[in-house]
Amino acid sequence: MQIFRMRYLLLNSCLILLGSCTTLYKNLQPANGNVSDLQQFRPQFSVALYNTTVDVLDNHLSGLLLIKKMPDSSIRMVFSNEMGFKFFDFEFASTGEFKVYSIIKKMNKKAVIKTLRKDFELILMNQLDAATFKIRKDENFKYYTFPQQKGYYHYITNLAGDHLVRMERASNRKQVVEVVMENYINHIPDTIGVNHNKFHFTIGLKRIER
Amino acid sequence: MRKIFLILILITGYVVKAQYAGYAPLTDVAKFKTDFANATQKTATIKSNFVQEKELSMLAEKIVSKGMFWFKKNNMVRMEYTQPFKYLMILNNDKVYVKDAQKETKVSAGSNKLFRQINDIMIDCMQGTTLNNADFKTRIFENKTTYLVELVPVVKGLKELLKHINVVVDKKDYSVNSIEMLELSGDNTVIRFVNKELNANIQDALFTIK
Repeated sequence: MQIFRMRYLLLNSCLILLGSCTTLYKNLQPANGNVSDLQQFRPQFSVALYNTTVDVLDNHLSGLLLIKKMPDSSIRMVFSNEMGFKFFDFEFASTGEFKVYSIIKKMNKKAVIKTLRKDFELILMNQLDAATFKIRKDENFKYYTFPQQKGYYHYITNLAGDHLVRMERASNRKQVVEVVMENYINHIPDTIGVNHNKFHFTIGLKRIER
Repeated sequence: MRKIFLILILITGYVVKAQYAGYAPLTDVAKFKTDFANATQKTATIKSNFVQEKELSMLAEKIVSKGMFWFKKNNMVRMEYTQPFKYLMILNNDKVYVKDAQKETKVSAGSNKLFRQINDIMIDCMQGTTLNNADFKTRIFENKTTYLVELVPVVKGLKELLKHINVVVDKKDYSVNSIEMLELSGDNTVIRFVNKELNANIQDALFTIK
């Protein structure tokens, strides 16, 4: 009897969990708005240097992330430790293409590069295709949703649309990554936080005045 | 035959000169080794300011940082970055302590090969044992006031990170003026030591790893 009760409880909690996953984006209502509403939040990186910490599982990395817009409008991101040893050097072309100039052996794994690419694309806001985008809302927020090859990028603002609350990478049901960008100074966020939900992986960026 | 030999010498001489402007290959390497070892033997401590410049050639960007440097025999180094970010690294024999913006980390240099190699470079440069480090192939050049010790990594790990390290040694007191690390990508990092104080009274407590 006790085992049966236990199983019943387990089944119930699974159903509740599943239910909450499916309804995360499902109950959103259509709303008015345009892709151009997000332009005000798109970081205008001419050149910015960030004090950076990365925590992946049990590993902790710290260093400096330099983000620079190149003359061809591509964005270069170079992450090195404080003493100058480079961890990676990425390029995000304005056409959406991505190139790895260099990456240290320990990080040179397809899954790591893919994750970093997607996280930074979300931040750069360079995958905002107006043709496929949807705008919806709930009681508190507006959701600007951009379908990707796999999953979605959600940009979530307040209902007035003048504050970017957070950004999310998500599957159909679940949030995969949550990103916040705060304290914009001259169109460049002062603080950026990336938090993965599937496993312990966080990136913290704090802008350095040079 | 003699002609070919002469031409070869001239070409090699030209290449070397082109590589390090103002420097000529050192003829009496044995004497330098002895003098360097003798002088560094007399140096028990070094206290200095430092300026670090990381040059990202393709991005046409330079990241400049500053701080304080302490060295004490044997095998103790403290590097404290103060501008434009705060970062502390203490090397004490086989132990490494790092304090970045978020976290304090203690690692055994022995457990991390790269840390051990960086540790060795730093300590060797200060203790004058650079020339005995089997991880590198060495060439020495001189100009009027300094020696330039070129260290080419020959071991895995370092070889994939660095093209070579150039240590510039002051002829006056055989103290290190600068350490330059050149990456395979063409980027480089130079640490320049300024306002050096040799044999100043430095407390052991500065290097304590708790």
